[in-house]
Amino acid sequence: MKTLFLKDMRYRRARVVLTALGIIVLISLILLLGGIMNGMRIQARQYVASTGADVWISAEGSGGAFIGFSMVVEEYMAFLNSAQGLAPDSASPLVFAQARPTVRGKSTKAIVVGYKLGKLGGPKHTIDGRMFTASNFEDYRPEDPVPYEVVIDEKMGLEIGQQITLGNEKVRVVGKAESRMFVLDTPLLFMDVRIAQKILFGNTPHVNMMIAKAGANQQPVQVAAGLDSLETIEARTLNQTLNDIIAYYVDEPMKAVQFLRVMLWVAAGILVGMITYVTMLEKTQEIGVLKAVGASDYYVMGLLLKQVVLISAVGVLLGFIFSYVFAAAAPIFVAINFVESIIVACISFIVCCGSGYLAARKAIEVDPMIAFRGEI
Amino acid sequence: MAAVVEGIGLTKRFGTGDATVVAVDAVDIRIEESELVMIMGDSGCGKTTLISLLGCILTPDAGELRIDNAPIDLANEDLSVIRHEKIGFVFQLFHLLPYLTALENVMVAMDIAGTKPVEAENRSTELLAQVGLSDRLHHRPAQLSGGEKQRVSFARALANRPKIIFADEPTANLDSRQSDNLMNLIQELRQEHQTTIAIVTHHEGLKENADRVIQMKDGRIVTA
Repeated sequence: MKTLFLKDMRYRRARVVLTALGIIVLISLILLLGGIMNGMRIQARQYVASTGADVWISAEGSGGAFIGFSMVVEEYMAFLNSAQGLAPDSASPLVFAQARPTVRGKSTKAIVVGYKLGKLGGPKHTIDGRMFTASNFEDYRPEDPVPYEVVIDEKMGLEIGQQITLGNEKVRVVGKAESRMFVLDTPLLFMDVRIAQKILFGNTPHVNMMIAKAGANQQPVQVAAGLDSLETIEARTLNQTLNDIIAYYVDEPMKAVQFLRVMLWVAAGILVGMITYVTMLEKTQEIGVLKAVGASDYYVMGLLLKQVVLISAVGVLLGFIFSYVFAAAAPIFVAINFVESIIVACISFIVCCGSGYLAARKAIEVDPMIAFRGEI
Repeated sequence: MAAVVEGIGLTKRFGTGDATVVAVDAVDIRIEESELVMIMGDSGCGKTTLISLLGCILTPDAGELRIDNAPIDLANEDLSVIRHEKIGFVFQLFHLLPYLTALENVMVAMDIAGTKPVEAENRSTELLAQVGLSDRLHHRPAQLSGGEKQRVSFARALANRPKIIFADEPTANLDSRQSDNLMNLIQELRQEHQTTIAIVTHHEGLKENADRVIQMKDGRIVTA
């Protein structure tokens, strides 16, 4: 009877549904955690890559532009603008600092990006509204600043004309830029570098880093290596910076999550194996009777494995589907990689089936003599 | 008459060392074609162990077994094939699969033997009609009385046209009326199918239905 295993599953539907639910939750979690990490990597990359800079310069000992504490004096601008290997006048000062702006009376997380309008470091145009008013960087007079204006990420949910409080200052939203959230959906607030310095650094003429383009026919790796050999600054290429940022913001803090993913796999395997085994213990008498009336180990194994495979397949498939549903509804950016999720689903399926197989192999050792004792 | 099952010097021990129990002790037994044999004796005398040995469920520690005039190589043969081809079992507690209907419970025995589903369904329907359960084909065990369950059990045992049916205390869980009805049915089925039946029982009242009574004591046959 081809449907014998299905009839058994229908009879024990509560257990089947609970097992499948367990797998669905575990697989969804495994994929969602992967999606969160992947989302963090994408977000970590997208701002840095969007700047168009080839070389990232930070203070000596900072470990890289986004890693440790870095304050660079502005005087380096003149040096960088004429440095060998860099495109002339391409160097741009950049303030990149975490802040807690108050939006609609609520403190929220954000990163302030202060840069020179028209230079590297931020958007050159908005998708709504206008760019902030630019200061005259070279002829800057702190006592006569430009208006406090900010261009926000389009997904921040603020309207043009609204104000946010940054430190003790009110900053007006004048435009919206294409979304480039940083890691864990942290919005970027783009403003004039001088305003950023005034609000965050108490008007000291420092920036966190400087970025520049490599000159024509210049290899960024060689240019960065040349600048890095100087004693007071560190220089990294775009790729090095991306690797640093992903290692610092994603891979290092997510080690525990990676470990958790492996644990969830183990849990999924144990869950299926355990429930299969417990079900087998409950069915010992039935298995004994089947063997007593002539069923071979192969026949009994087939019955058990069909159930294990079906429950695992349904659990993994629904877990796969639900992970995308949960990702869409998640309050943070989750980017499940389709190919990776297929691989994860396949591995999960193998883990579930493998543990079910081990439990089933144990179950077929039942002595048919048991049929002469006890009740089903 | 030809022997359907023959055991020579069958011995089965359980446990080890001082705790060893000899459940069946060098038993010689021969059950002939179309016989209805009752195996009787006190509890623990080795009746069930003996039919388990004869039915290829247990492997003897010593002795030889012949089924349908062919010696059984207990060490190398696939005993599950012998069980579904030549032997039918009826258990004291019926042991029907709870998630299958009466019809499916009979069909499953034929499925194990590799019978095609249509053929299995036709024969199962026929067998259930013979045991008087035409109107209970699609009832689950939980919806059947004890007597009905035991009838389904007999239909399942007959499904693969076995050479012999071993029934372990088939009336133990039935009242006297159901018990009498079952014995009548067994007689009818035996006539109809020409099947050899060996019944383990301690119910003295069933003796009169038997062609032969085998009395056991302490793992040995005392009267055959």
